[in-house]
Amino acid sequence: MRFDKPRTFRQSMKWVHTWTGLPLGWLLFAVYVTGTLSFFHPEITLWMQPESHRAKVAETEETARRAFEALARVAPDAPQWTVSLPGSRSGVAGLAWREATAGQPAGGQQNAVRGEAARRGEGGQGARGEFGERAAGEGVSERGAGGQGDGAAPRRGFGERGMAQGMQARGERGARGAGGRGSEESDAEEAGAAQAGAQTPAASGGGVQGGEGGRGQGMKRATMDPATGELIEPRQTAGGGFLYRFHYRLYGFDRTWGQWIVGAATMVMFIALITGVVIHRTIFRDIFSFRPAKGKRSWMDGHNASSVLSLPFHVVITFSGLLLLGNQLMPSAASSAYPGDERGYFMEMRGMRGGEQQPAARPSGTPAQLADIGPLLAVAQERWPEQGVGSIAVNFPGDARATIELRQARGDGLANRAMGERLLFDGVTGAPLEAPPVADPSGVRATSNVLSAVHLGRFASPLVRWLLFASGVLGSVMVASGLVLWVVSRARDRTADGKIPAGHRFVEVLNVAAVAGLLVAIGAYFWANRLIPAEVAERNLWEIRVFFTVWSLTLLHSLLRRHKQAWIEQLALAGGLLAALPLVNAATGGAHLGVAFYLGQWQVAGFDLCALVCGALLLHAARKVASHVPREKVARSAGRTKKPAAAGGTDEGGDGPVPAVLQTEEA
Amino acid sequence: MSTHHYLTCFADHRPVLNVTLRSALAILGGYGLAALAASAFAVGMPLPRVDAVTLAIMLSFIVYLLAVMWVFATATLLRAAAGLAVGAAVFGAWLWLAPSAAGGAA
Repeated sequence: MRFDKPRTFRQSMKWVHTWTGLPLGWLLFAVYVTGTLSFFHPEITLWMQPESHRAKVAETEETARRAFEALARVAPDAPQWTVSLPGSRSGVAGLAWREATAGQPAGGQQNAVRGEAARRGEGGQGARGEFGERAAGEGVSERGAGGQGDGAAPRRGFGERGMAQGMQARGERGARGAGGRGSEESDAEEAGAAQAGAQTPAASGGGVQGGEGGRGQGMKRATMDPATGELIEPRQTAGGGFLYRFHYRLYGFDRTWGQWIVGAATMVMFIALITGVVIHRTIFRDIFSFRPAKGKRSWMDGHNASSVLSLPFHVVITFSGLLLLGNQLMPSAASSAYPGDERGYFMEMRGMRGGEQQPAARPSGTPAQLADIGPLLAVAQERWPEQGVGSIAVNFPGDARATIELRQARGDGLANRAMGERLLFDGVTGAPLEAPPVADPSGVRATSNVLSAVHLGRFASPLVRWLLFASGVLGSVMVASGLVLWVVSRARDRTADGKIPAGHRFVEVLNVAAVAGLLVAIGAYFWANRLIPAEVAERNLWEIRVFFTVWSLTLLHSLLRRHKQAWIEQLALAGGLLAALPLVNAATGGAHLGVAFYLGQWQVAGFDLCALVCGALLLHAARKVASHVPREKVARSAGRTKKPAAAGGTDEGGDGPVPAVLQTEEA
Repeated sequence: MSTHHYLTCFADHRPVLNVTLRSALAILGGYGLAALAASAFAVGMPLPRVDAVTLAIMLSFIVYLLAVMWVFATATLLRAAAGLAVGAAVFGAWLWLAPSAAGGAA
């Protein structure tokens, strides 16, 4: 198609679809795959720390008591404790506490903890994994930033509030004095991180970890076996957090740059999606159309079916992805409405209007026994029979002014960012206190919250989470099949003279490395997690190095091998690596499937089973490619131009228009 | 849809230049229009400021999408550019006429 010739609207859109999809398709596939895995990143991290697999299930009440005992043992003087209870996303309990440090302005700090964390801690809770992962990976993956200390603290780790990240960081740093470390951001963030601790035991050696690398200063974390109360010492790992962070800001770039690149790719995805819808007149029929072993037609069907089957998911995930980066991508909105005061926007956006903060709470200094947690948990259980309690925060444990806050495990109101409810109790008498009210979000904010909550899988029960995962897999298939389709569609251009144009070869090489190669690299990443000795320094960095080294090697391999061979070998390798993961898990100290089922470690069992299934599918794909005879060859021997159209026509008469149009356009 | 009704320029007849210019118009012009639209929406919508900004960001991505589609769908480069210019004029005028947002912030 040429723009200097008359053309139809759909032809134009077809061109846009093809040429926006291709250049960033390779990146989009990586974003889609790692993003899909991110729906389970706390579970992935758990799998990657086999030391945590031995934990046994225990009663919530017992777990909470043991956690308090453990905290009283290791952090008797801490002004705040947080216990993340084991739940559907983790089998271990996470403990976190704020270190008692004389140098810090305790008042401001506690104020922030109460005012902000209390109000928005649920956000953190919903986003547990994110925060925790950050705690885990951040210190290492951004070691260089560690020295920035306070100034940089607000910049990292807002998890779900990622929407604000880039600009926020600047605004905060500009607005706060050098010592302004009692900031809402970092404190709320840490409260969130504290809750996250359990889900994703902070990844550094030792049962008790400080937040290294300048992040989470003052917060210490530990992982506890809920059944015994023993502190577990998980290995250092980049965990699911690496994949999670990669999917929205890549790796090795400055965060801002990474987010710009992913943001541009997301916008391209949005354009490709909508133009893809525009060029299809048979959306509904595409759901049911898959005609295998018909060459380009099959790829077209596969591309259409994977797109259309979960089209709402793709549109929502893409658009919400844009919104999550929106403040960075479209800074003009905030800077126009808040000239010179973007920070005011971010404050308001989070419901923190000026002067709303509560007065600082201070410990009384009078020691007092902490109330028994049992009855409080019973109250919460009665109130939230389905979700249960996700985490417990104690302020001033052992003081007469102690408070205990119970947080719902998972919110069920999407519009409120799926914020869970909270119950606040007097920490000594156990009497219920009035929790700070949570304002109902406005219509616009609710819409935005719903979108981001879906993107982050915030609300998701395990079933919904698996559906999101499946949609993500379909999305990955959509992108991959689109990339392959580009090559397949142009097969005829080159079979005429038997030579492969350089551009086609370029796309072929990158297709293999970006699709199969990425899967090989992910498989290798998990293998590295188990094969690198647990004591190695900077283990997590080695895991990441293995990932990128293997990925580069797949590019090299794809460059050296014939196209089809490259596909077969890399798909087989990826399939083999993934399918063997349950064995690797069993052989390297993890809970193998039998044990995992027996102990109720569903997260670990789910990982193993998922790896097995994905591996088997990839092996199957490799076999299919190996046994595939290009349709064009068959067609050509029988008369080159006529055959495909005729085959399509006899196959399903009514479906003529789509391929016919596509074929004419390609010519 | 025949071209001779339209005003064409020399670049319209050079396929490579045509695509290059359209791409530039779509990527840069589209972003510029979207950013301007974001400003106009953020300031000009009768909503609380914070909501206006959030909605403005949402809408601006849709403006970007439509701008890209427009640039590639129209018959000639001049029309593509003119469409963006009209959009920019509308949003610019809205931004100009909207009550100043500075009052609240300052």
